[in-house]
Amino acid sequence: MRWSAIKAFVVKELKTTLRSREQLFWIVFWPMILVLMTGYIFIPPSVDQPKTLKIGVVNYDNRSTAPFNGSYFVQILDEVEYKGVKLFDVVEYENESTMVDDLKGGRLDGGFLIPRGFGANLMMGQATLRIYVGASDLQSAQINEAILRGFIEGMSREIAYRKVNETIYYMRRYGSQYMPENLTIPGFNETLVEFLEVWMTGLVEPINATFVDVKPETLMTRSTVIGWYTLGAAGMSILYTGLNIGSLMAVGEKERGTLKRLLASPATSTDMLIGKTLAGVLTLGLTTGLSVIVGIFGCGAKILWNPLKPEHWLVPLLLVLGSLLMIGFGMLLSLVTKTARGASGLSTVLGMMLSFTAGIWFPKSWMPEWMRFLGDVFPATWAIDAMRSIMVFEAGLAEVLLDTFKVLAATTVIYLLGILAYRTVLRRYAEA
Amino acid sequence: MNLSNDRSMYEPAVSVKNVSKRFGDRTAVDDVSFEVKRGEVYGLLGPNGAGKTTLLSILAGVVNPTSGTVRILGTSPLDSKTRGLVGFCPQEPVVYDELSGFENIMFYAGLHGLSGSEAVKKCRELLDKLGLLEYADRRAGKYSGGMKKRLNFAIALIGDPEVLLLDEPTTGMDPGIRRTVWDLIAELRSLGKTVILATHYMEEAEALSDRVAIMDGGRVIAEGEPEMLKKECGLRAVINLELMEPAGGALKLVEPYAYEGAVYVDGNSLRVYVEDPDTVAPKLVSRLLNNGYKLLAMRISPPTLEDVFLKLTGRRLVEE
Repeated sequence: MRWSAIKAFVVKELKTTLRSREQLFWIVFWPMILVLMTGYIFIPPSVDQPKTLKIGVVNYDNRSTAPFNGSYFVQILDEVEYKGVKLFDVVEYENESTMVDDLKGGRLDGGFLIPRGFGANLMMGQATLRIYVGASDLQSAQINEAILRGFIEGMSREIAYRKVNETIYYMRRYGSQYMPENLTIPGFNETLVEFLEVWMTGLVEPINATFVDVKPETLMTRSTVIGWYTLGAAGMSILYTGLNIGSLMAVGEKERGTLKRLLASPATSTDMLIGKTLAGVLTLGLTTGLSVIVGIFGCGAKILWNPLKPEHWLVPLLLVLGSLLMIGFGMLLSLVTKTARGASGLSTVLGMMLSFTAGIWFPKSWMPEWMRFLGDVFPATWAIDAMRSIMVFEAGLAEVLLDTFKVLAATTVIYLLGILAYRTVLRRYAEA
Repeated sequence: MNLSNDRSMYEPAVSVKNVSKRFGDRTAVDDVSFEVKRGEVYGLLGPNGAGKTTLLSILAGVVNPTSGTVRILGTSPLDSKTRGLVGFCPQEPVVYDELSGFENIMFYAGLHGLSGSEAVKKCRELLDKLGLLEYADRRAGKYSGGMKKRLNFAIALIGDPEVLLLDEPTTGMDPGIRRTVWDLIAELRSLGKTVILATHYMEEAEALSDRVAIMDGGRVIAEGEPEMLKKECGLRAVINLELMEPAGGALKLVEPYAYEGAVYVDGNSLRVYVEDPDTVAPKLVSRLLNNGYKLLAMRISPPTLEDVFLKLTGRRLVEE
């Protein structure tokens, strides 16, 4: 093993990689695209803002002379805001079938059918209202329904409170004429009116719940969530680029025709292995760095990093171990791939699949049991989980040390197996 | 450690004993044995598919022989120290297209343990010798085929090798550059370097080789100094006759005049091997003319290694 040969391989690999448009795409541009897509599609800038729904309204209660009628309700729909954003963009329809056609065509997010007598019933008793939930896709159906339900529940509660207040007002004003003063209910200290006020408020809202956000800091805002996904994008690059580097270790040179000359040179196969691995780790470091830079400056990602916390230094270590692990897996793949195209294709497909099972894009809780098992036994998942434990859930050194050792052990085993595969490929070449 | 200094100068630089290489059912190299002395240029002459490239790959330590032994400077070619003393120039120009010519050769300089200003100086010297210095910073992917071949050759020389294995080094080069490479090989010989040159150009083998092994079908069918090989074949001269029409019909007319009936037809031309050209040539011409053949040209030349190969195998080295 000679340093000059190893250095020559590192320099050559970095230059050939960074000058190849195809390689450059996968190593530099693809992670950037992933981060940007994540930043603007998974978590769009409007994620913190309420969504405005385009809704249709058919109002059959527009001619009522009651103090509140369907037209007032339409006006409320048109003016209601949440966090300074209009909740509904209202389109009025003459009849139900035209509105339903537009709902079916995905041109509306929802619709209201206001029946005759709606306003009067609302004031004096219980009003009926038909609400249509539209959707242009499965996810938007859930969101639209939640917004429409939220609005109606909020409005119902508001109306109920107003009715209760009105009732209490009249009870206070006229009750003394018909009820003995200081009439109390046995077992209660309040007067009857005070008791009824509390009782009716309970009817409107039996549980007055308060929700307090205690999510990890990393999941609190869009910028921190993007930071979380940025690490995921970097992890995914490591998965498939690492596999690619490992699988092309000998096959790439063989296909270029350069392997013959390299084997005839005084450099040993170990020099080549170390040189290419170092170049691979540096390349993956570059990919990760670029992902982080694009995440921070391109999408506004916030990544928690505190150099004073020793556990945070485990993150770069885990990244290096993850890189070596995937390069090792890639070398194992080279046993079955005979061409660079085959190796590259297989690594990309496997990398994509593993990124899902490793829980990079979606929580593992979404996966079926068998798929979750695959993710749990895959060592790259341990590395990714450990990194997220540190950077998302602020786990301490003691909490992630065991996982780090597990990753170290798995990387050692897989990389050693990879070396055996690499030597087998070289031996096959010499025998063929 | 310089292995070459530790060994007796009488020991052969390259020793090949009963080497065979089989790929499945096909035998690429069949029980080949020879020795090459230090400072000798040894030609491996044969048509495509004769086994020259496989043999050179075995000598370079890239391919393992199925049987037999190979020693380079007394050691195994698989030894990395031995490989440091061997320069290998594969047939196809194997360079990294993304790197410049200079970066390509610098990479191999690194593999040979050269670095810094020493490596830069050596690389520039070699590029200059092969007329590539002007294009040193251009990416090798933009080089012409001939330029790549020259770079390929320069890379083989970067380690200042004691033994040079050259596989068709001048194929695809223009005549001027080919002459430069020949001069370089001659210079290497004068420096005491050992060269094994695989080629299918008989002029190249004749011009450069001290000894030649003629290969066909994986076997060495003749070995020796070029002049000796020609003598052993009993050839003194070759009469080339160019006719106006296909020469196949004239075969019977000229056969009686040929040495051991050695006449070869190739399109409109006849190649007649004779012992006494001065006597035979006029007779051949008059016989052909009397039988209605029109003669375009006649040339009498000494025999070449191509003729030796033709005599031994009945085929030409380069099939048209």
